[in-house]
Amino acid sequence: MVTNRIDHKWGMVVDLDRCTGCNGCVVACQAENNLPINTKDLFLQRRTYSWIRIERYWQGQYPNVKARFIPVLCQHCENAPCEPVCPVYATYHNDQGLNVQVYNRCVGTRYCINNCPYQARFFNFWHPHWPDRMENQLNPDVTVRTRGITEKCTFCVQRLRRGELQVERAGGQRLDDQKLLEGNYAPACVQACPTNALTFGDQNDANSHIRPYFDDVNTHDIHHEYERETRGYRLMEEGATRPSIIYLKQIDQFPLEKNTNV
Amino acid sequence: MSSHSEPAHYPADMWVLPDKGQVTRDVAEKAQSSSRALRLVTLAAEALAVLAVVGFVMRWVTDGFGNYSAWGYYVAVFSFIFLVTSSAPLFAVAFRITKNHWRRPVSRIAELFALCGVLNVILYIPLIYILPPISNPNFGPDSHGELVIRRSIWMEVPFGAPHLWNFLGIVCLAVAALALLWLSALPDMAEARHTATGFRGALYRKLAGHWYGTKRQWHRQKVSLAYLGGLYFMMLIFVQFLIVSDFAMSLIPGWKDSILPPLYTVTGFQSAISLTLIIAFILRRRGGYSNYIGLSPFWSASKVQLGLTLLWTYHLFAFFITMWYGRLETEQNLIRYLIFESYTGIFWANVILIFFLPFFMLIWNPLRKSDWGPTLAGLSILCGNLLFQLRMFVAAFNAGDIYALGMTSVPPPVFPDLWDVFMVVGGVGMAALVFLAAARLFPLISVWEVKEGAMYQDKRPLFRGEYLVLAKPE
Amino acid sequence: MQEGRALTPTEINRDLLNSIMETPRWFWPVVGFLATIVLAAAITIGIMIDRGLGITGLNRPIVWGFFITNFVFWIGISHAGVMLSAILRLAKAEWRRPATRAAEVLTIFSLMTAMIMPIIHTGRPWRILYWAFPYDFARGIWPNIRTPLVWDPSAILTYLTSSTLFVLIALVPDFAVLRDRYADKVANSEHPSSTDQIFHAAYRFLALGWEGNPRQWKLQIIAGVLLSALILPVFVSVHSIVSWDFGMAVAVKSWHSTIFAPYFVVGAVHSGVSAVAFVMIILRHIYGWQDYIRHEHIDALGRLLVVVATGWFYFFVMEVIFGIYGREADEIAVRDFQFYQWPMSGWTIVFVVTTYFIPVALWLTRWARRNLWIMSAACISVNIGMWLERYIIIVPGLANRSLFSFTWASYVPSPAEALIVGATFAFVTMLMLLFSRVFPLVPLYDIKEGEFLRTEVQVGRRTVPATFRED
Repeated sequence: MVTNRIDHKWGMVVDLDRCTGCNGCVVACQAENNLPINTKDLFLQRRTYSWIRIERYWQGQYPNVKARFIPVLCQHCENAPCEPVCPVYATYHNDQGLNVQVYNRCVGTRYCINNCPYQARFFNFWHPHWPDRMENQLNPDVTVRTRGITEKCTFCVQRLRRGELQVERAGGQRLDDQKLLEGNYAPACVQACPTNALTFGDQNDANSHIRPYFDDVNTHDIHHEYERETRGYRLMEEGATRPSIIYLKQIDQFPLEKNTNV
Repeated sequence: MSSHSEPAHYPADMWVLPDKGQVTRDVAEKAQSSSRALRLVTLAAEALAVLAVVGFVMRWVTDGFGNYSAWGYYVAVFSFIFLVTSSAPLFAVAFRITKNHWRRPVSRIAELFALCGVLNVILYIPLIYILPPISNPNFGPDSHGELVIRRSIWMEVPFGAPHLWNFLGIVCLAVAALALLWLSALPDMAEARHTATGFRGALYRKLAGHWYGTKRQWHRQKVSLAYLGGLYFMMLIFVQFLIVSDFAMSLIPGWKDSILPPLYTVTGFQSAISLTLIIAFILRRRGGYSNYIGLSPFWSASKVQLGLTLLWTYHLFAFFITMWYGRLETEQNLIRYLIFESYTGIFWANVILIFFLPFFMLIWNPLRKSDWGPTLAGLSILCGNLLFQLRMFVAAFNAGDIYALGMTSVPPPVFPDLWDVFMVVGGVGMAALVFLAAARLFPLISVWEVKEGAMYQDKRPLFRGEYLVLAKPE
Repeated sequence: MQEGRALTPTEINRDLLNSIMETPRWFWPVVGFLATIVLAAAITIGIMIDRGLGITGLNRPIVWGFFITNFVFWIGISHAGVMLSAILRLAKAEWRRPATRAAEVLTIFSLMTAMIMPIIHTGRPWRILYWAFPYDFARGIWPNIRTPLVWDPSAILTYLTSSTLFVLIALVPDFAVLRDRYADKVANSEHPSSTDQIFHAAYRFLALGWEGNPRQWKLQIIAGVLLSALILPVFVSVHSIVSWDFGMAVAVKSWHSTIFAPYFVVGAVHSGVSAVAFVMIILRHIYGWQDYIRHEHIDALGRLLVVVATGWFYFFVMEVIFGIYGREADEIAVRDFQFYQWPMSGWTIVFVVTTYFIPVALWLTRWARRNLWIMSAACISVNIGMWLERYIIIVPGLANRSLFSFTWASYVPSPAEALIVGATFAFVTMLMLLFSRVFPLVPLYDIKEGEFLRTEVQVGRRTVPATFRED
C-alpha cells in the first residue's frame, strides 16, 4: 500500500482572480490545525500564527485605489532553502512532494525561518494556550505544538493520510484527483474557500485539474516566462526554489490607469 | 675585490659583504657588465615582443575592436602583466614598512617593476576600444530578460565609465610606482651621479642632483617612502578592484561575487613574491650577486608565500561554497562554467600550480631553506596565475549576452588560435624586456638599504654558538 | 625596539607572581559584584527556559537578534588569542611576549561565553544533544551535516580544545615555578594551610614533572610551534563558519555574499586584538606590571591594528559595493534600511565611525599609541563598533524589507536580552580576574627568554637596542 502512495506529488493552484480576500481559508486553517488564538497581545508582539495568510496591498493613490489580495502559505518548494539548514532534520522533503516538519525533533534554532523566502514558518514563542472550554474543540488528529519549536502549513497532511487510507484500503487504488474531490479530502483552506480560488491536486496525476498549469509553468520556465499560455506563475520564481504552488494572475477588468481620468 | 664566498650554512646568515665602501662600485660594475647569456635573453625577449605585436596586429585585422569577445586572451595577458608588475613594488613597500631585515638586498628588484607601469598603460589603450559599453545599445520594449544597464560597479554610469576611469587609475598607479622607485633609488643615484657615464650619468644627475645626504634629507626620504608606500598599496588594491570587476565580473551576467577583488589581489601578492624571488635566484646564481643575496630572503619570503598560498585557496573556497550552497540557477551555472564544466581542465591546473604544488613544497622546511625551492614554487605560482587570468578573462569575454539578467546556460570554452598564443607568450616577453631595460638603468641592489642593514647587524657569541644580532631602532 | 630597564629572573618571578601570591583588597568586592550580575543573568536564563523565548524581543520574522549578535561578537573576540600568539610566534615578533598569555586566555573564556549564546537561544535547549552530537544511534538519525549550524559546534569545539592545549603547553614552565613556590611555602610553615597544600598538589599535577632540562624545553618549543601552525586553519575556519551561518542563507537578502568569510575573520581579529590591548592596559594598571607591559608593546599593538582595521575596512567596502552591485530591488531595500532609515542609519554611522575612523585616526600618531587612556578609549570604541556591525548585519537582513511589505517587522530587544548580553561581559571579566589569581597572565618564561636575548648594538655614536635571532 505504501508503494502505491509514492508517486504522489501534491500541489496547489491559487487563482488570484477569484480571491476576494475573505479570510475564510485563514479561519479554516486556524480551526483545523489547532493554531493558538491570535490574541491582541500576540499581535502587539508580532508573533501571530497564520499558516495561511491573505496579504493585502493597496494599488494606486486615494481615491483611485484597489485592494489586491494574495494568499501566502508554505510553498512546499521542491528546492526548499529551509531544508538543508536544519541541523536535526526536523524539516525535510517527503516522498509525496511535501515539505514536512517533525515537531518532536525540532530544537528551535529558527534557521529555517530565516531561510524561508515566503515567511511561511512560525515559531512558538510561548506555550499555546486556549480558554478552558475551547480545548475541547481541538482537532485530535493534529499535534498541539509546544513552545520552542517551529511549525508551518502541512497541506493538512492528516486529511491526506485519512483520505489515502480510505481510498487505497477500500479499492486498492491510487488516490487521484477525482477521488480527492469526491471525498472532500482537500486541505481545510481549499475546502473552505467560497470562490474556489484554491485548488488542490496531484501534480503527477495526468488528469488532475491542476496539471495543465504545472505543465505550462514547468515548460516555460522563468527565462521564457513571456511564452506561457496560462496566467500561471510561481512566487519569487527567480529564487529557484520551485514551489509546489502556482498562482494565476488576476485579470483586471477595470485597470486603474483607465480610471485615473475619471 | 671580494671573494666569492660560499652561501651561509643556515638562513639566519644575512649577506656577506665586502668592504662597505666598495659596495657602490661593486654593484655599479655588476650592473654594467653584460654576459653572453644576458645578451641572449635580451634577444629572446625582443623576439617575443615582436611576436606579440604581430599577434596583436593580426587579431586587429581579423576581428577589429568591435568584436570584443575575440580579445579574451589579450585581456588575460594584459591582466597578468598588470597584476604581476603592479604588485611587485608592494614586496618592497610591505617589508620595508614592517622593518624586515632580510628584504634589504631584494627590495630594489621588486621596485624596478615600476617601469613596467608604462607598459601597462600602453597595453591598456586598446582596451578602451574593446570593452563594450555599460548601457545596453539594443535595449527595446521587446527585450526579454535584458538589462538597460548591465551590472557594474559604476552604478549610475558617470562620464567616461568605465574606460576612462580605469585608464586614469592605471596611469596614476604607474606614476606612483615610478615616484616610489625614484624615492627609493635617490641615495644610490646620488652616489653614482659623478661616476656613471653616458645616459645613466645624465639621468642620475637630473634625478638626484639635489641629494647630499643631509640628516633632513634622509629623514624626509624615509618618511615619504613610508607614506608613498602606503598610498601605493591602497591605490593598487583599488585599481585591481576596478580591473577585475570591469573586465571579468561585470561581463558575466548575474555574477555577483564580492570576494573576487580580494582573490585577485591575493594572486597579485603571491606573484609579486614569486617574481622577486625568481629574479633574486637568477642574480644570486648567475649574476654574481651571491655576496648580497643570501638565503634569508628565500627563507623568510617563502614563509609569507606559504601563508598567501593558503589564503588564496581560502578565498576561492569561500567563493565556491557560497555559490554552490545557495543553489540559485545563475550561481550554479557560473560555477559549472568556471569550475566544473567548460574550464574545468584549466581550473584544476590553476589550483594545482597555484596551491597544491607550492603548498606541499613550502611546508617542507629543507626546501624553504634552499634558494631553488621557493624559486620553483614561485615559478609554479606564476604559471598558475597565468592560467587563473586566462580562466577568468577568457571566460568573461565569451559568456554570451552580457546584458542578460543571469546565466541561463553554460557556454562552451574558447580555445586560443595562433594569434592568441602569440599575444600571450609575446606579452610576457615584452614585460621581461622592460625589466631588462630597467635593470640596465638602475642598480639592482638597493645599496643604501644594504649598507644601513650592515650597520644594524652583528654576530655575537651566545653560549656555544654564534648568533645574528639585529638592532631595531625605533 | 626594547625600552625599559633590564630585568633579572628573580625580579620577573617576584613581580609577575604577585597577582597570585597576594590578594589585592579590591579583588573580592569586584568579583562579588560581577558574580551578582552573572547570577541575575543565570536566573533570567532559567526563566527564559521555563517560560519560553517569549520574554525576549524577538518576533516574526526577526527570529535572530541580540543573542546571535553577541555570539558572533564573542567568537570574534576569541580570535585575538591565536592571532597574537600563533601568528606572531611564527613571525618571531619580539613584542608579542607579554601579550600572548592574556590573549590566549581571553580566547578560551570568550569562546566559552560565546557557546552559551546559541544554546540558550534555541527553543528547546535541553534537546541540544540532537544537534551538536551524533548520539541518536538507535533511530539512525544523524545531525544534518549540510547545515552550517552543525559545522559551527564542530569548529568551535575543535578551536576550544586546541586553544586550551595551546595555553596549557605554554603554561607548563610557569606551573613548575608555582609548584616550587608552593612547595617552599608548605615546607617553611609549621602548620601549612590546607589551601596551600591543595594548590601545591594542583600545580604539581599541572606542571607534568617539569624540570627545565634541555629535552623538555625542546619538546615544549616544538609543541608550541606545531600547535601554532595547526591552530591557524582552525582559527580561520571558526569565524568563516560563523559567517556562513549567514552567507548560506539565500533567502535573507544581504546575507548571501561570498566575501563574508574573510570579512568576518578580519573583523574578528580587529575586535579581538583591540580587546587584548585593553586587557593588557588593565592588567598593567591593577597589578603594577609597568616594567613588563610597556608602552612599546601597546604601541606595537596599535600599529598592527592600523593594518588590520584598514584591511577590515576594505572588506567592508567590498561587501557594501557588491551588495548594491546586483541592483536587485530587495537587496537595495535592505541596504536602504541599513544606511538611510532611522534608527538603523544612526547605528550605522556610529558603527563605521567607532570601528574605523576614530581609532585609526588616533593610532596613526605615535603620541596617541603611547597614551594608555587614549588607547583604552580607542580599543573600547572598536569593540562597540564591532558589536554594532554584527547587529547591523543580522537584524536589517531579517527585518525583511522586501517588496512584500506585509511581513515587515522591527525589533526592540527586551530587558531580559539586554541583561543577559550585558552579563556576558561581566562573566568574561570575572573569569579573567579569577584566572589571574591562579595562573600568571604574563608568561614568565617568555619574558625571561626575551630578556636573555636582549642586547645592544653600537651604530655610529648611538647605542641601539638589539635582539639575538635564532634563525
